[in-house]
Amino acid sequence: MKIPQERLRNFSIIAHIDHGKSTLADRLLEMTHTIEARLMTSQVLDSMDLEREKGITIKARAVRLDYLARDGRTYGLNLIDTPGHVDFSYEVSRSLQACEGAILVVDAAQGIEAQTLANVHLALREGLTIIPVINKIDLPSAQPDVVIEELENVLAIPREEVLLASAKEGIGIDAILEAIVERIPAPKGDPDGPLQGLIFDSHYDAYKGVVVYVRLASGTLHAHDTIRLMASGVESDLLELGVFRPQLVPVQALTAGEVGYVATGLKSVRDAQVGDTLTNAKAPASTPLPGYKEAKSLVFAGIYPLSGDDYPLLREAIERLHLNDGSFTYQPESSVALGFGFRCGFLGLLHMEIVQERLEREFSLDLIASAPSVQYRVVLIGNRGTLSVDNPAFFPNAGEIEAVEEPWVSLAVITPATYIGPLLELSTSRRGTFVGLEYLDPQRVLIRFELPLAELIIDYFDQLKSRSQGYASMDYEEIGYRAANLVKLDIMVAGEPVDALSLIVHRDRAATTGRQLTERLKELIPRQMFEVPIQAAIGSNVVARETVRALRKNVLAKCYGGDISRKKKLLEKQKEGKQRMKRVGSVEIPQEAFLAVLRIDDGAGR
Amino acid sequence: MSSVAEFPATEPAFGLYVHLPFCVSICPYCDFVVYAGADARGPRNRIEILVDALIVEIGLRARSGGTAGRADPARRPLSTVYLGGGTPSLLPVGSLRRILDAIRTAFGIAPGAEITLEANPGPDERGDPAAQAAAGITRLSVGAQSFAPAELKRLGRRHSPADIGLALDAARQAGIRSISLDLLYDVPGQTLDSWADGLERAVSLGPEHLSLYALSLDDPDAEGLTGPGGDHLPPSAGARRWRKRARPEQDDDRAAAMYHLAVHRLREAGFLGYELANWALPGHESRHNLGYWERRSIEAVGPGAHAFDGRVRRWNAARLDGYIAALLPGGGRQPSLPPGGEEILDSTSAAAESLILGLRLDRGVPLTAFLEPPFMDAFDWAVSAGLLEETGDTRVHLTTRGRLLSNELFARLI
Repeated sequence: MKIPQERLRNFSIIAHIDHGKSTLADRLLEMTHTIEARLMTSQVLDSMDLEREKGITIKARAVRLDYLARDGRTYGLNLIDTPGHVDFSYEVSRSLQACEGAILVVDAAQGIEAQTLANVHLALREGLTIIPVINKIDLPSAQPDVVIEELENVLAIPREEVLLASAKEGIGIDAILEAIVERIPAPKGDPDGPLQGLIFDSHYDAYKGVVVYVRLASGTLHAHDTIRLMASGVESDLLELGVFRPQLVPVQALTAGEVGYVATGLKSVRDAQVGDTLTNAKAPASTPLPGYKEAKSLVFAGIYPLSGDDYPLLREAIERLHLNDGSFTYQPESSVALGFGFRCGFLGLLHMEIVQERLEREFSLDLIASAPSVQYRVVLIGNRGTLSVDNPAFFPNAGEIEAVEEPWVSLAVITPATYIGPLLELSTSRRGTFVGLEYLDPQRVLIRFELPLAELIIDYFDQLKSRSQGYASMDYEEIGYRAANLVKLDIMVAGEPVDALSLIVHRDRAATTGRQLTERLKELIPRQMFEVPIQAAIGSNVVARETVRALRKNVLAKCYGGDISRKKKLLEKQKEGKQRMKRVGSVEIPQEAFLAVLRIDDGAGR
Repeated sequence: MSSVAEFPATEPAFGLYVHLPFCVSICPYCDFVVYAGADARGPRNRIEILVDALIVEIGLRARSGGTAGRADPARRPLSTVYLGGGTPSLLPVGSLRRILDAIRTAFGIAPGAEITLEANPGPDERGDPAAQAAAGITRLSVGAQSFAPAELKRLGRRHSPADIGLALDAARQAGIRSISLDLLYDVPGQTLDSWADGLERAVSLGPEHLSLYALSLDDPDAEGLTGPGGDHLPPSAGARRWRKRARPEQDDDRAAAMYHLAVHRLREAGFLGYELANWALPGHESRHNLGYWERRSIEAVGPGAHAFDGRVRRWNAARLDGYIAALLPGGGRQPSLPPGGEEILDSTSAAAESLILGLRLDRGVPLTAFLEPPFMDAFDWAVSAGLLEETGDTRVHLTTRGRLLSNELFARLI
């Protein structure tokens, strides 16, 4: 059924993790009979296993609901789901750009969180109509009045606009549907104008190639058109177009204001990036839609197979995953300690975790990731230019460096006021500067910091959570490069530098970090046949040293008739253990040592 | 002895091992197949039933020849018999005699054969050495373990230090000419001093042979050895707790120092360290045990016992019930060989095994044994690391450091 433009509504849902976005989406699908109750799986929109497990939405999804409103007419509602994590703020902004309105879901017991706030600001910037919904009002700990006050204080939302609901219990859902129809404006855009479609998501399909999710801003797209992507310049005869119900249902045409998918037949999602504008190759639009940015990597790490034999498998896995997720970058690299692998760039730390987990899970690989790094700008002495370095192993020696710059972020933290002290302490210990503090309500505050990104990506989020007993939330955005007093700390085992253990540290903290690392390594490197010195050094200047004493005894106490088969098995185990170790010079280092050092999370931080 | 490159054919049995799985009480560190308490001496005592079953197995094994069931091509009398356990000295002398008679009938025992009995020194454990000697025992291996009362207590041993001397005196008087003492090092609570003192007291008792074992606290469950067909019994909960507490009190550096001390002291006392854990006055090496390290064919009977015929390693399951049920089925049914398992060695693992076992011996292995490609790298590495050295006669053997670190080399050979 073709629904006229004035009865279309495009909206998304903004919510913090666990505040009930997916449950609300499920209820909307049920109430509009988009999915029959018997086919409902919990959290339909989170179709990736990983999303369901982590309870978060990684990739945006979209669905079309047909809603028979109280005015007796049927409206076409396009729900555009947004990723719920700070790493994906660009994708969120593109999803929001495809909408005219957003439902803001806030947990009645928790109140508004940092990231939700950031996303609401994004939505307001895009001119969206906000429908505030306080969810989980059925909870005994619900405090809707406090949350209403908070919304009024922080976002200037009039209390009479706020809807109360419990998605879990199905309370207040019909009011939300009516509000979507009444408050959110219909999309505008000339169906006969030049074709402009905003790509807000994509996935790779083995048969249809890259499938892009579009919101048409103007014009009409037909099933047999040739399309062009304005930023990448790629053209393709489209294979299919359709709408989300939520499975893909082909249609003959999409017109301005509508949301749907286009099977492009393209082979790589890199050719059809989120934010790009789709137009008609025969009659292209003169300008693209505003706001396109290329996905930008902020966090870098080496990803290596635990077993060197798995390198070809890893290569294939990365290539295949990249078809589906064009937002990470990769290039081959090799490490003395870890062998062959890939240097990858990610949108953020969660993105890195997700990519690693998907590689391991979907391709049955055991992987090891090096410590995450940011991209440094290193100005070399004697006008020899500037280097971009995202791998500590390639960081020049102190003598060659004129200056170093590192990326900084502005950080917003929302926390119960009780935890202000520990959180201020956390940020200052991470070279952060305090910018300001405001009370959202008598109990909760918004604190702003500026912080080097490198300090954020180590375990800042975990620390934030643990120091606030899980209550604080955060959001950050990049604010450019600043000068830094950084040096490269090398770790040498038996005199040989171990590239995978090098790190970039602030000069003042180099010695402390060096001591912590060498102490840790001493525990992790098993005793060898000779004494093994472990040193931390800046250039040739050793700042810390530990020694692993020589192994004195590894012997089978007795070996008679009954022992021979048994002890052979024991020796075979020792042999396998040795094969899993990485040889650095003459020293055998177990993979676990790298792993444990890389996961150093006791504040040994840089 | 065959060289490494050859694939040794099955050989008629050179020796026979008899496992007697009974003790008065079980020591918490022990992994051998042992039943204790009422199972051994009380009303549920099955010693006589076990002896009946052993005698049936002895007959069956002798008739089936090689361990893989092939007929014995050229049967010859046994050169060694080893009665191990458990505490075989607990065995009533009548039973001991029945077993040895059965062996003579089934296999034959060569004149001058070495017939060893394992004994514990406690008055309630050591049995009657005169009767044992009269039954044909030529060699006694005494489980002394320590001369420190606190260590013996911790180890769950029933005897006092004085009992060790008494046991040796009794054996001497009975005319047993070859006596060995077992001692443990790396025992929780042990010091280098108490170890040196124990060695001194052991030497002063004048044994012909000493076996020194580092206490190893393994977990046969984790190694998968305790299933229904396994050759080990699961350790009791108490033994498991004991090991867990004892492990942190062990110390590799201290153990290595203890080993070095023994090497020096025993050389001084005229002992030859002929194997990694064994020292003997010349002529008193354990011929039976040398058979294991030289990969001779050794038949075995009793629950959990291991046999080797030159190409197959075979073992009986540890469980007593299954063992007895197979050999003494009752109701007029024919006895059958007890449950167990076997491992058929391929030539590669036989070659590695041969090197590993040969290197445990002081005389080592011929240099040529290392000329096989998989072993050459390991050889160069071990020589440069000071683990192996060549002797004048184109043989190589482990240095003392090499003995203590032998697994580092062996793991490269396997």
